[in-house]
Amino acid sequence: MLPTLGQAVLFMRIFPMTSRALVLLALFAWGFSAQSVSAESCAALRELHGNEIVSVHCGGAPSASFDAQGRLWVAFVQDKHVYVSYSDDKGASYSEPVQVNEVAEDTEFNGENRPKIIVAPQGEVMLSWTTKTSSNFTGLIRFSRSVDGGKTFEVPRTVNDDGLTTGHRFDSLFLSDSGNLYLTWIDKRDMEASLAVGDAYPGAAIYYAVSKDFGKTFSPNYPVSQNSCECCRIAMAPQGDDKVAILWRQIYDSQIRDHAVAVLGPEGEVSGLDRATVDDWYIDACPHHGPSMVQAQDANQYHMAWFSAGELHKGIYYARYDLGQADSNQLIEVDATPGAGHPSLAQHGDELLLAWKGFNGVATQLHVMSSMDDGKSWSPVQTVFNTEQASDHPLLISDGKAIYLSWSTAQFGYVFKELSHDD
Amino acid sequence: MTISVVTKKGRRFPTVLALSLSMLYTLGGSLAAQADNIQDFYTQSFEQIKAQYEGEPFVVSLWSIDCAPCRVELKMLGELKKNDPDFALVVISTDSIENREEAADILDSYELAGIKTWMFADAFVERLRYSVDPLWHGELPRSYFFKADHSFESHSGILTREQIGKFFPSIEQ
Repeated sequence: MLPTLGQAVLFMRIFPMTSRALVLLALFAWGFSAQSVSAESCAALRELHGNEIVSVHCGGAPSASFDAQGRLWVAFVQDKHVYVSYSDDKGASYSEPVQVNEVAEDTEFNGENRPKIIVAPQGEVMLSWTTKTSSNFTGLIRFSRSVDGGKTFEVPRTVNDDGLTTGHRFDSLFLSDSGNLYLTWIDKRDMEASLAVGDAYPGAAIYYAVSKDFGKTFSPNYPVSQNSCECCRIAMAPQGDDKVAILWRQIYDSQIRDHAVAVLGPEGEVSGLDRATVDDWYIDACPHHGPSMVQAQDANQYHMAWFSAGELHKGIYYARYDLGQADSNQLIEVDATPGAGHPSLAQHGDELLLAWKGFNGVATQLHVMSSMDDGKSWSPVQTVFNTEQASDHPLLISDGKAIYLSWSTAQFGYVFKELSHDD
Repeated sequence: MTISVVTKKGRRFPTVLALSLSMLYTLGGSLAAQADNIQDFYTQSFEQIKAQYEGEPFVVSLWSIDCAPCRVELKMLGELKKNDPDFALVVISTDSIENREEAADILDSYELAGIKTWMFADAFVERLRYSVDPLWHGELPRSYFFKADHSFESHSGILTREQIGKFFPSIEQ
């Protein structure tokens, strides 16, 4: 499949230093399999089954992960409840949704805030989410799990341990190979403490807790960093068997909202805390635009994708962060078109995929590009979906065999599609 | 601080779609009368707002329930509006209009419940944002200073009294 002129232009912009031969090779080798959409729209389901139907196609802000047996698990929010469905045919059909929280709560569901789901190797189905507790940016970090394969869920618990009515939001969940479950979030307890003594406090803070028994119990809350941005999702990726690396939007010099990276350990150890992007986005506002990060083939390096409207960089960017050198490199401007946003990365084998959204004034495009050399060079951009209706942020996940798109749309319902490579 | 200058030309609108949506929301609005002063904001709303201010300067402030810095700006705008009811101010919430009660309470707490304001009334928020400004990324608060000829300057982040005073020297601070 030959790229369009626009894609070719973007491609040339991405590869100013790449040799012409490599460019031509990439042009002919590249191509996603044709996308056909088998998902059902919520509107169609409601026509058939009534407005009360609970379905992955109707729920808000779904997220997905695979268990060790290859079963796909999806968590979503509908009518103040978190629900879980699974699929044994990679999204062609889904199980009847099971309600997680019996008592309704004001569960946050939007692009940056969604329930997270991870299934442990022994089968515990573990979920975190944020419950809004007022109109003034307050919330609780909630957790529940199932120990009977997703048939029933434990009564949700609050993981933030400060007992304060303040901001605890934007949760992210990660399970290390060694079995440490990391739950991290944006927390305003330190802001409250500063304001109480009359000190200004830019932004919020990052906190986390660890469970070593697959969500049965959690550690106390551990602080990571002061002065984070208040309103962007946190990205998480493995560091060794036991730890996790996280990437979030951080406030520098009280005014700049770029990104920071740190490594979190199971006992509250925080190391490698450093600035990961230098875009110089001077803004005292909520970007609502969190980063994505996956581990590179070198286990101390990370692929990062993010959005900035900074003095130095405007648009979606990719770079590789070297934890040992505390430095980022291979910076690429991915898409500086107005309307481009919300990048997501995933890696499987040699293939690294980056997906993001574009908007041309009429329709949203779902763009994807791929690197087969650990982010050094990239394919042309493929537009795999086009919709003139509303859609969520796109997410990429892997089952260790392929990379899939997880994307909630008004037109197609919940889209779960393998983004396969032709060669 | 992000400042850009754009003329009012060079926009595209999905006219047919916007019209049908406009009819749909007008119908919905008339069926469910609300006690507040919040209007549905759809793809043609911004053109209509500009038409209302034809030949006149005005300030636009975009906010959301979820945005803490927006409250600082709303407080300041509420005070200015109270001191000078003629202050040409357009306030638009980017939250879904399904959350209108929560928005109305917040506006009320800043004494802005008495003026006509707008809330996003289409889940396809990218299209609504584009109708305001194709170069806006969705960050909040976001504001615009429209001159009498409707050329404009944009601003991301909390507006200050000084910025508004500079644009509207006659305003009662």
